[in-house]
Amino acid sequence: MDAALRAIAEPHRREILRLVGDEELAAGEIASHFDLSRPAVSQHLRVLVDAGLLESRREATRIIYRARPEGLSELRDYLEGFWATGLRRLKRAVEREMEDTERATRR
Amino acid sequence: MPPGDDVIEQEIRIAAPPEAVFPFFTDPEKMRRWKGMDHKVDPQPGGIYRVNIDGTHVARGEYVEVNPPHRVTFTWGWEDDGNPVPPGSSTVEVTLTPDGDDTIVRLVHRGLPLEAVEPHAAGWRHYLARLAIAGSGADPGPDLGPS
Repeated sequence: MDAALRAIAEPHRREILRLVGDEELAAGEIASHFDLSRPAVSQHLRVLVDAGLLESRREATRIIYRARPEGLSELRDYLEGFWATGLRRLKRAVEREMEDTERATRR
Repeated sequence: MPPGDDVIEQEIRIAAPPEAVFPFFTDPEKMRRWKGMDHKVDPQPGGIYRVNIDGTHVARGEYVEVNPPHRVTFTWGWEDDGNPVPPGSSTVEVTLTPDGDDTIVRLVHRGLPLEAVEPHAAGWRHYLARLAIAGSGADPGPDLGPS
C-alpha cells in the first residue's frame, strides 16, 4: 500500500491518473500533455503500474494505459483501516479505564 | 453523490460519557493507551499534535479546535519523506455525542489525497460512489503499524 501512497504523492502522476480516468490513452498521448521528457513520463507510468493504479496493454506497436480503480480502493481501505483500528483501540482503552474506576469506587 | 469521495468517516460507540473519552485526544498519557508510542501535544488552537505511531511513522499537525468534551479538531499528516499526506495537510474532526450512558465517537478525516486523485472522470466517480455505499465494515487491511 505504501507504493500507491507514494505513487500519488507526485503531482504529474496524479495528473496522469486524471487523464486516464475517462479513457484509455497511449503513452505518447499521455506524454503530449506534459513538458517532460518521454523517459520521465515512462518512469511515472511505470511507478503507477507498479503501484497497481494503472494497467497497460499492447496494441500493435503502442502501449495503451488505463486507470485501475481497484488500486484506489486499496488506498481507501488502507486509510479507513488506519482509523478503524485506532477507534477500536480507543474504545478498549476508555472502557478499561471505566471498569477500573468503577472497581475503585466500589472498594 | 454520497458524501466522502475524499473523506474517511468512522464511528464507534463507547461505554463511557464524553467527559471520560475526551482526554484520550488531548492527554499524552491517555493517548498512549490507544495510539502511538510517543506524543508531543499542546491541546489548544495552534498547538502541536505530534504522534510517533510505531517508531518509524510520525503523524504531525496542529490542534484547530479544542472544545471539551464535545469536539476536537486537528490537522494531520505523516512526516515521512514523500508521503502524500504531509504534516498538516488534512484535517481530522472528532465529535463526541452522548447517547444514554454511552458516547458516539465520530471521526471525519478530510483533505486526503483521495481528493487529488478523485477527478472529473466518470469512471473513478462511479467506482468511488460504490465504495462509499460498500461502507466501512471491510477488513481494515494493512495498517501503518501498531497504532
